[in-house]
Amino acid sequence: MTKRGLKRTLFTLGIILLLGGISNAYALEANEYRQFAGIDSRKLVWFLAQLHLFFGAFVLGVPLFAVIIEIVGWRSSDKRFDKLAYEFTSLLSVAYATTAALGGLFTFALFTLYPTFMGYMAGVFKDVMFVYAMLFFGETFCLYLYYYGWDWLSEEAKGKGQKAKGIFLATKIAGGIIIVISILFLLGFGGPHMRGDTRAFIAFLLILPIGAGLFILKDRKTLHILIGILLNVFGIAIMLTANSWAGFMMAPTGVTERGDFIGTTWQAFDNHLATPMAMHRMLGNLAFGGLVAGAYAAVKFIGSKTEEEKAHYDWMGYISNFIAIAGLIPIPFAGYYLGREVYSTSAVMGNNMMGGDFSWTFIIQAMLVGSLFLISNYYLWSGMTRIPGAERYYGYIKFMLALIVISFAIWLTPHNLPLTGEEVGKMGGTQYHPTLKFFGLMPAKNAVVNLIILSTFFSFLLYRRGNKGDRIPISKQGKAPLIAISIAGLVAIIIIGQYAVFLLSADPKILDLPADRAVYFRTVGWLLTFQCIAVIAAVILAIKDKGIIAQGLYLGTTALSVTLFLGVYGFIVMEKASPFLRNVAVSQFLQLLSCLILVTTIDVFLFKGAKEVGPLKWGKMTVRSQYALLLLTIIITLNMGLMGFIRSGLRSDWHIFGVMRDTSEWAYTPSNYTMTQMVSLTVVVFLVAVAFMFWLGGIAKGKNDK
Amino acid sequence: MGKVVIKVFVFLLILVGLFMWVGYAITKMTGGEKIAGGAVTISPEGGETIFWGKGRCFTCHSIGDRGSAARCPNLGVWGDKLPLPIGQRAAERAKERSKQTGLNYTATDYLVECLASPAAYIVEGFKNEMAIVYAPPISLTVDEIKAVISYLQSQGGEVNIEAINTPTEVSKKLWDKIAAAGAAGGGDPGHGEEVFKMACVSCHILKGEGGKIGPDLTNIGTKSVKFISESILYPAVTFTAGYETYVVIDKSGKKIVGIKTKDDGSGVEITKENGEAVTIAKADIKEITQDKNKSIMPEELIEAMTVKDYQDVLAFMVMQKSRQ
Repeated sequence: MTKRGLKRTLFTLGIILLLGGISNAYALEANEYRQFAGIDSRKLVWFLAQLHLFFGAFVLGVPLFAVIIEIVGWRSSDKRFDKLAYEFTSLLSVAYATTAALGGLFTFALFTLYPTFMGYMAGVFKDVMFVYAMLFFGETFCLYLYYYGWDWLSEEAKGKGQKAKGIFLATKIAGGIIIVISILFLLGFGGPHMRGDTRAFIAFLLILPIGAGLFILKDRKTLHILIGILLNVFGIAIMLTANSWAGFMMAPTGVTERGDFIGTTWQAFDNHLATPMAMHRMLGNLAFGGLVAGAYAAVKFIGSKTEEEKAHYDWMGYISNFIAIAGLIPIPFAGYYLGREVYSTSAVMGNNMMGGDFSWTFIIQAMLVGSLFLISNYYLWSGMTRIPGAERYYGYIKFMLALIVISFAIWLTPHNLPLTGEEVGKMGGTQYHPTLKFFGLMPAKNAVVNLIILSTFFSFLLYRRGNKGDRIPISKQGKAPLIAISIAGLVAIIIIGQYAVFLLSADPKILDLPADRAVYFRTVGWLLTFQCIAVIAAVILAIKDKGIIAQGLYLGTTALSVTLFLGVYGFIVMEKASPFLRNVAVSQFLQLLSCLILVTTIDVFLFKGAKEVGPLKWGKMTVRSQYALLLLTIIITLNMGLMGFIRSGLRSDWHIFGVMRDTSEWAYTPSNYTMTQMVSLTVVVFLVAVAFMFWLGGIAKGKNDK
Repeated sequence: MGKVVIKVFVFLLILVGLFMWVGYAITKMTGGEKIAGGAVTISPEGGETIFWGKGRCFTCHSIGDRGSAARCPNLGVWGDKLPLPIGQRAAERAKERSKQTGLNYTATDYLVECLASPAAYIVEGFKNEMAIVYAPPISLTVDEIKAVISYLQSQGGEVNIEAINTPTEVSKKLWDKIAAAGAAGGGDPGHGEEVFKMACVSCHILKGEGGKIGPDLTNIGTKSVKFISESILYPAVTFTAGYETYVVIDKSGKKIVGIKTKDDGSGVEITKENGEAVTIAKADIKEITQDKNKSIMPEELIEAMTVKDYQDVLAFMVMQKSRQ
């Protein structure tokens, strides 16, 4: 069918639906609702959805890093990593069936308690729902093959004949072709019309990994890795599919305000928020999976009877926390992107998120996220006690602690205070504190959140170099560092340079600002240009064996620019050109991102092959530090529940935003107290269930070991 | 191991207890469930309920020290930049708008315009990003909007419900716009007019301007919303007399499709989709038939339209009656 023909068919379909459904004013008519055992249907669905999401996040998060750890073990021929990857996967296998069972329960609850709404959703997404079910078969098959085939596929095959060589050559070629296809797909060739982020997501996370997995295929072990990759591809596809439904409910595509569906299934699938949510969830799942596995390691560590056990679980906890931090650091970027897309979907929804019903929920969220960063840092600092040579860096800790605590306090400060009449009187008739009110505004918050991320990153750098002694100069490491550091520098320049060009040439009219406000655009543009120069200087210094100075230079200029300069300048922008403040925030995030990329790349080569001051003393950790790991797990779980409440609650009294109203008796935004009660309940049930399953898994493991 | 598990469980309970305490403390300070309010009266009190509730106005606007939003102009006294509260500011702005447009604005007209056509006047330093409050998801009714206006009047100005209920020439058009948008399900007629100018005016006349290929739409708003909706999405359902599609095949086998704009004894004139008029002598016509299943309205038009465009242009069409 030609494109035009397809459009005509869709158009005709739209007409038929329209004629049939012109009176289906879902926005106005009452829907049907039912109850089970007299329970509040909304709360029941809330509970089941959140519980399913916790298990789902764990089941999707763990394979992400299990496969990466397995690849690390395979490449380095270090069996410890292979065993660790297996141990992580064993946690997964017991949680998988529960996730599926909860998914079924959740679906039944939705269809039976909200029949009108689910009937509508099934009408729009019926094809997608079948695909979703099929994907589950793929994931189940891969998971069990991955787990139960671990030992079998680790053994070397007896005698590799010509036939095997021929097969591997064919898979290498197929892998190469798929990699090329992923690049072409990314560049816009093939597939239906779709959002750029969806295209990138599919290219990078669904097509490219399959190509890479086939490309490296050469023996049983790499076949096992390929199965692990496929497990992740199915998992990510499942998540993307489920997100399309949640995204559609927030940003319906191809639907008139009366509820008539006049678009295609693909348009409904590729709605405005599906991919931004998927990106955010990917990182969240990674951090969450890491921390739940970390909690397992912490409990095992606390209960360990031998030094050997302690050493093992300490190491496992460390790796888990490392994974969690790797997911946590970029999450604010993904969160910012998702938030921006929510705003562009509906300013009403966006404003309600940050400045409306959920503004105080976001204060609680800030408490939780700030705690996550603070405790992660504490765990890293505690870990330095097991690193001979790390005492050289102890002096920095108190400054970093002060910076993080102050930043945290500023981040938590609300703009205006909920005061009684008497208190308002004492404050001179205003709800704003004379000094603290500034900390409640976005320029201050953007500055400190960036500083918290930078400080955490700095802690991580100190941890990495803790036991490193004499270094091999970068200039003596061959061409690899030259190429890698230059590429990292180029990437950093592209990230900030393109935005500098935009700001230096942008017309203030695009933000409805008069021409004389161009000065604010240009100032930030020149600042970014200066940062590009700093990148070049850092690259040259690193190549000339001044890596530490290079890192200090770029970390320093980024901290000064992002926190001090733009933190203060943001207030001026807010006063004179308020709409431009969003662009200032983007420039801050871009500088931070470029800093993480460049400084990490320099760090990799700076300490590559460096002599160790002494071997790491795994197991020499305090029990307190293990409670910190547990605390991190509980906090991230609470935070996920809270964010789920916000995301879902943003629709206010709409099932499908702007299309189908929630006409039930539960159509209101619950209070923060109700939210904390519901989230606490789900968190306790989830963690107890997980502990029980880990115990069950432990019994099975003990039996197998015997 | 059992002791460890108990310790960890107690630790978990303490933490969730702390979490719930934070939720409780914040709810105590800031209030409980956010329930969309019921019907309100056209009064400052009713408007206040809407402003700080269903209307979501507070998510962008503060009023003096009340609220914390800074995205859009503060509607109270706010430093040197905004020295007058909105009730008084409206009178000043009305003078400004009168100068700009040549129309005679009252303070109430200005406030009505702020809600009906927020893009008409942008306060310097702010962006054109106010939501259309009478469209989903906010979907305020006419009475709710009137209540909000009376609340804004009460902010330093004179509350004049009568002025709200008896619109001037200026605000009548704005109220019509709001009513039309409501009738059409919530589209934005302002944007709909732009869509019309871009996509429809080359074929349709509206108030004397436009092409003559399609029917004159000057009075289309007298028809039902369903009829207008169908006419946009499925133009072949009902043909306006004189705009039926004809297919002429001449003796050389050439096919001409369009509307019959002239038919005299000697021949017929067919105006094609692109506006080109072709005259064919009766003697040259092999066959002439009316195609009841096809309109010459281009299908690409609706294909290129977004749902939002469609909703907006529908709202604009529904308005084309009150201006008669």
